[in-house]
Amino acid sequence: MPELQGGWGIPMVYVICGQCDWRYLAPDTDLPEHCPHCAAPALARLDADEAQFPYPHPPELVVPFEVAEAVLAARIEAFARGIPFVPTDLNPATLRERMQKLYLPMWLVDSDVVASWQAEVGFDYEVVSHQGRYADGAGWRTEEVREGRVRWEPRVGQLRRHYDNVAAPALGLQEAAQRALGRYNVSNAGDHSAEHVRTAIVRAPDRSPEAAWPDAEVGLRQRAADECCSAAHADHIRDFRWAPEFGEPNWTLLLLPVYATFYRDDEGQPQRVLINGQTGQLSGVRRGSMKRAQRTSLVIGIVALVLFLLSVGAAVLGAMVPPALAIGVVGAVMAVLIGIGAIIPIARVWSFNRRESRATPEV
Amino acid sequence: MALFPPEGYVRVESAVEGIEVYMPAPEVPQAEPDVVDFRCPQCQAKTAYSVADGGLRCAYCGYYEPPSMPIVGKGAQEFEFTVETVAAAREAHGWGTERRELRCESCGAETSLPPGSLSHTCPFCGSNRVLQQDAPEDALRPRFLVPFQIELKRCHEVARAWLGSSWMTPASLKNAARIADFAGIYIPCWTFDCRTSASWRAQVGHQVTERYYDASSKSWKSRTRTVWRWESGQAQRVFDDLLVVGTERLSQVLLGQLQSFDTRQLVPYAPSYLAGFMAHAYDVPLETAWKRAREQMRSDTHGACRAQASTSQIRNFSMSIDFGDESWRYVLMPVYLAVYRYNDQAYQIMINGQNGSIAGQRPVDWTKVWLAVAAMLAPGVLLGLIGVLAAALGLALPPSLIAGGGLLIVAFILLLVGIIFAVITLNKARAMDDA
Repeated sequence: MPELQGGWGIPMVYVICGQCDWRYLAPDTDLPEHCPHCAAPALARLDADEAQFPYPHPPELVVPFEVAEAVLAARIEAFARGIPFVPTDLNPATLRERMQKLYLPMWLVDSDVVASWQAEVGFDYEVVSHQGRYADGAGWRTEEVREGRVRWEPRVGQLRRHYDNVAAPALGLQEAAQRALGRYNVSNAGDHSAEHVRTAIVRAPDRSPEAAWPDAEVGLRQRAADECCSAAHADHIRDFRWAPEFGEPNWTLLLLPVYATFYRDDEGQPQRVLINGQTGQLSGVRRGSMKRAQRTSLVIGIVALVLFLLSVGAAVLGAMVPPALAIGVVGAVMAVLIGIGAIIPIARVWSFNRRESRATPEV
Repeated sequence: MALFPPEGYVRVESAVEGIEVYMPAPEVPQAEPDVVDFRCPQCQAKTAYSVADGGLRCAYCGYYEPPSMPIVGKGAQEFEFTVETVAAAREAHGWGTERRELRCESCGAETSLPPGSLSHTCPFCGSNRVLQQDAPEDALRPRFLVPFQIELKRCHEVARAWLGSSWMTPASLKNAARIADFAGIYIPCWTFDCRTSASWRAQVGHQVTERYYDASSKSWKSRTRTVWRWESGQAQRVFDDLLVVGTERLSQVLLGQLQSFDTRQLVPYAPSYLAGFMAHAYDVPLETAWKRAREQMRSDTHGACRAQASTSQIRNFSMSIDFGDESWRYVLMPVYLAVYRYNDQAYQIMINGQNGSIAGQRPVDWTKVWLAVAAMLAPGVLLGLIGVLAAALGLALPPSLIAGGGLLIVAFILLLVGIIFAVITLNKARAMDDA
């Protein structure tokens, strides 16, 4: 695949996860051991059929991995802490060990725009107002205050501009990813180099440039509105309308950094953990081990049952030795209370898992 | 956007290369000559604003020019108290210009105009000329006015009727007063709009009647005491076109007595409305007028807050007030002024040029007033004397004593009523005398 080699700086290959069907671009020499999405180990190369990788656009800008090691460690520590009946596989060391660098792609579009536009532009200004206070005996005390207001005026115009690097989602899950990982500061993005992808894999776009164009157009419109506001020496703009004609757009990729890792819950299901490679914001479902909770509940239940049986025995003995009856009654009450307490581990884990599932956005 | 740029738009400087910006063309103030000479295009005679027709009318050939400005009423543009306007208003005094020499082009006479005089009729040949002066700040020029709606000829009948309308004035006043010609004058006024929001807190007294045991008299008694409770509330008031007169050259007492002007009749300022009339620029600056208006609004809102209390017994009252959506206009209002002489003394009359209400000074015939006061007190005094006589007679004839006592009670009531009426009458007479 010469296009890929030319655009990425090092030879890259397409790989696909046989389980979740996610596609990646990975360095030819360093293929990932498991799928960052579903943790399946079976990643197959896709160098046979070019029709399976339809968007061979090169990267242009890369937001670098910027999270400090200490911050990363602290986030993972915090994630693994405070889980009732924590699964054996969920510990900071395992999470760090399985961590791999992943880039999520976004489209970048460059285009010439010719348009006529109209909008209302706002100018900040101040007015003098007054506030007063009155109290019996003290009389009136008035003070002058300044209030900020916006004066809106109509403007029309024509625009002939070239816009570079307007971002648009290249993945169907971009919105969900943004909810989970937070926004990236794209102004920190630098030019792409081979070093960026030598130790990382790249999620392949699943949206075509044609499908992403409406989003790109929204971005271009916003960029144009902001510039028209500046051109009119205004402070605000609203009701921006335009009739644009676009030149042939040029599509490239912007890569957003993510750390991906996972742990297996007590049913052996992989639970994905993602960390924003720029801000350190972490997203992942924390699950307590229901099996461990059930075992604990069972032990407590057995203790309660044994105590109850002994208490019944003591009560029967009470027919001959009266003090034994009292011991039997007390023992039975304690057995019932311990039996009720046996529900607590299961209830706690169930409640924790439910709360965590609701609180964590799904990617 | 078929036509570009749209009609009425002009290009402005753009801060971004590749983007053209157009804005609505700003209103260019019409270049008007310093002196506008209103002459009839048919016969070259002088024209003047005709109150009856609402436009310019030539008194000689009947030529009529309708007014070019529609009534805008309360829709007339209002100005905000922007930092720039307030700063300009602080620096501006009246029209900010020195006295001007006006040369009449008809007769060549030179007249010195006082500062603030907007229009002038040549005192020598009667030529109508309207002076246009530059304002220190465009917004501080009068932008709107209420045109005269009462004709000059009606002023004399209104004044005559008013002079004869009070019994306190001399009987000969109506006929003997020599009323000089009325002069129509536009007086400067500020109108203010505002919304006040206030919150208040006070202790409100409630009367409570309670029974208690009086140990000294060893009995149960009732007494009333005041229980003070804290109350609080919020009040909002909206003020629309609160008028503050912008000149102190005219009697504030008489202006206060004139019925208020109706701002629904406001029209945009045009020189033709001033043809044949005098006009004054303000000498009460915007800030001073706004302070007076605020005091009035504050007092009104203060009253509204106190009225919310559950009783009228209030102490430790405190409130805070916030003025919002403040705006102002500088307008001209029509007034007719005249002076009449009676017994060699001059008295002022002022007529509202919009609705014909009148206020003025009138001499008081104090003889009449004192006679009236005497008449009010006489029944009580006379009946009281009769009552005293009857009571004295009662020493000999006991039934007269009872009659005398009854008469004294009635006399006392009549005297009380007489005193009240006498005080009211004297106050009215004094207010008339002081006007």
